[in-house]
Amino acid sequence: MNPDIDRLHPAVREARLAERLETLRSALAAVATPASLEPALVDRFRAHRRRERSLARPRLWWLPPLAMVVTVAFVSWMVRVPPALPVPEADPGSAAAPAPAGAQDAGPFLALKPLERIALEPRATVVATEFPRALLAQWGLPVSPERAGEPVRAEFLYSAQGEPLALRILN
Amino acid sequence: MPSLPMPPWNMQPELTLLARMRQGDEEAFVELYRRHKDAIFRFAMLRTGSAARAADVTQETFLHLMTRPGQYDPGRGSLAAWLCGVARNLARRECAGREDATDPGDLADDATLAQDLVEANGPVERLLADETAEQVRAAIASIAPHYRDVLILCELSELSYAEAAQVCGIDIGTVRSRLSRARAQLADRFSRMGLMHGPGRVKEAS
Repeated sequence: MNPDIDRLHPAVREARLAERLETLRSALAAVATPASLEPALVDRFRAHRRRERSLARPRLWWLPPLAMVVTVAFVSWMVRVPPALPVPEADPGSAAAPAPAGAQDAGPFLALKPLERIALEPRATVVATEFPRALLAQWGLPVSPERAGEPVRAEFLYSAQGEPLALRILN
Repeated sequence: MPSLPMPPWNMQPELTLLARMRQGDEEAFVELYRRHKDAIFRFAMLRTGSAARAADVTQETFLHLMTRPGQYDPGRGSLAAWLCGVARNLARRECAGREDATDPGDLADDATLAQDLVEANGPVERLLADETAEQVRAAIASIAPHYRDVLILCELSELSYAEAAQVCGIDIGTVRSRLSRARAQLADRFSRMGLMHGPGRVKEAS
């Protein structure tokens, strides 16, 4: 042990120690962190947040493709199975012909206008008609060249303004 | 004079800042940084003996807070103590090579002058403008790391014994004994450096 220390009274030794430590404390109080650290850390914080957000994003990667598949499936179903068309009111004064025999067995109507447009029509009218089979090609329906000249019996759904809304082939 | 255990204080404002920071609030992070930066930098400077290394340790400490805030457990102590613990671990890593040779047992009876130890560790870097304060810092730097940590935490960083125990991962009894030995070593270093002589007449033991 240091003899100089041993010669000092413990209280004096403690007082000197405290005094020197206080000197250091005072000097340290004037020491400040370099100012360049804060902007550097803020930049790192922003980069860290960006990285966290980008890591969080792929968790829902399956959502957009799933939404697209569901939409396509729903639209396909809507096109293949159109909703029930509005039943035309029986209007004695109208030129609508009575439903021909065998109409109960006829297929569904093929929409020529958007379904929303048809659904909003207040006074739709069904009219039975006959036309050359070749006209079916205009609506994108398959027509056999051998039978192109044959007449086709069909029913048209007309709006009050006479606009064809839907078509149903009877034979 | 060793500081008494710090009284419990309301940690809610800091915990709120921490929660906001975890949600990405930049202002909360800056506020936490400004509250603790100087204490961490001074601790790191005393621990590493270099302003440049202290800046690195401070930056890494707050990066740790930024990226791993979940490691802080409010039930185990204050945020200040936890940050000191992180800084201490980083500083130990920085000084790993140099501290291998300073075993507490070897230094307990070591009569080598503090200046010799400091010079043996590399070129001396002057950190403080005040001559006496710089000598005191150099004397503290020459103490064995186990004792030095406790001395810096309790005497200069104003942490309670309990917080120093948390930082060092030891119990409070060990903190007390290490602090006592650190003060004895420091008094010895001061004496050898001529720092124990006050401005007036030194009262000697009979």
